[in-house]
Amino acid sequence: MGWISDYILFLQERYTDILILLGEHLYIALFSVILGCLFAIPLGILLTKLKRGVVTSAAFTVANIFQTIPTIALLAIMIPFLGIGMKPAIFALFLYSLLPLLRNTYSGIKSVDPGVIESAKGMGLNAGQRLLQIELPLAFPYIMSGLRLTTVYIISWTTLAALIGAGGLGDLILSGIGINNKFLIYTGAVLAIGLALLTDFVLGRVEKKLSHVSQAHSETQA
Amino acid sequence: MLKRLLLLAVLSALFAIAAACGGGETIEIGAQTYTETKIMAYINQALIEDRTDYSVNVTPDIAASPPVIDALSTGELDIGLLYTGEIFNNHFPGVEDTHDPEEVLRQAQEGFNEHYDFNWFDPLGWENTYAMTVRKDVAEELGLEKISDLKDVAENMRLGVDTTWLEREIDGYPAFIEHYGFSFGEEYSMDINLVYEAVANEEVDIVLAYSTDPRILEFDLQMLEDDQQFFPPYDACIVARNETLEQYPELEDILTLLTGEIDEETITRLNYEVDIEQRNPQDVAREFLQEKGLLE
Repeated sequence: MGWISDYILFLQERYTDILILLGEHLYIALFSVILGCLFAIPLGILLTKLKRGVVTSAAFTVANIFQTIPTIALLAIMIPFLGIGMKPAIFALFLYSLLPLLRNTYSGIKSVDPGVIESAKGMGLNAGQRLLQIELPLAFPYIMSGLRLTTVYIISWTTLAALIGAGGLGDLILSGIGINNKFLIYTGAVLAIGLALLTDFVLGRVEKKLSHVSQAHSETQA
Repeated sequence: MLKRLLLLAVLSALFAIAAACGGGETIEIGAQTYTETKIMAYINQALIEDRTDYSVNVTPDIAASPPVIDALSTGELDIGLLYTGEIFNNHFPGVEDTHDPEEVLRQAQEGFNEHYDFNWFDPLGWENTYAMTVRKDVAEELGLEKISDLKDVAENMRLGVDTTWLEREIDGYPAFIEHYGFSFGEEYSMDINLVYEAVANEEVDIVLAYSTDPRILEFDLQMLEDDQQFFPPYDACIVARNETLEQYPELEDILTLLTGEIDEETITRLNYEVDIEQRNPQDVAREFLQEKGLLE
């Protein structure tokens, strides 16, 4: 049981460093996902409105390609343009977040029953009103599940930011591997897992809250 | 019919994988992520396959030396390349802090034999140590030749290092600060392969390079002399499991063929062929052995 007291000593000595890395990790992951949302959700909506399928499939192909670039290669390629540190890390993770957000937004809007849209048209709602009051609330569960999926894996991938000088929990894991220190490895890994689960839980609650609100909203509308 | 064929294909693929993993007479060699460990692995592979009937499998890109040591101790690997300063990485207790290369080598050979049952061979001849490295123009502008010249400028400098140095105990950052009496403005840890480009592109002002990396030449960088002897010796040595050497007695003579035969200049040139000229490490290894007259 000696390791428990050793571990407590380790935590006492290092907790400020660990908290800083945890903060960096959260910052990089959330910043990337928020940027991804700001870009991919409007784009996903826009794609559903386009008549030309070519543009849609081109957009998905590009997002797909981003998804497949090996992380290390992407980080290395970006050094001359974005340097090292948080900027390239956030940009790389932003690119990786696009596909699931885009795909889920697109399928969510597409899944809305055309009959519902037709009757909304009949009730005199214009395109903007239809989007805000009918399509988005109905697509909301799809978009949220894309967001949750993305957030969880971006938090996990953020450990790779340590490879490019951006810090985060990956620092603990990589240096733990390098100097044969299991405390560092497990602390980094457990915190990254905890952070992902916690964020998923919070987003789940937000989803519940918002879907009640939007249901109530559409009921009052009706 | 088609289904059967498919099943047959899948099954035979599985058997092939199982056979490849089972490896009765296969000797496993591991290498880290940086080039010279891979070149050395392919050199050993070529030598063993040339002189015996055993087949050799090389696993490159293992993240760091501790996982190599773990794999050697469980028997997943038989042979690896390690550096004498590795003893300062908490592998066994009672390591004495010294900078004498002979002493460090002796502790590595005795300690790893006793605690891990490894045979730590005599050094191959080159040392790959940490080197504080700046761009030539920065060195000229600030008049930097040795590490202690950094004393007054370090606080305004951004330092780029590999992913482990900040945490290392005896030869890491906290010990460095204590030894030289100054610290840097900011530190960025990253994959060791990125530090050269980072300093060349002025993303950081100084990096802790690995001294045999050819990118130091390629990017016109200058290493600063460790004038207060902070960094311990890092002599490259082949390491093998004692059990493997007993099982394949011919190996010992083969693995000592190059003892003391590869100096810094030679290994840097070989690294250059791979890292800068983009050649395949296997070809570079074979060519080197042919030059040496060790391969038909």
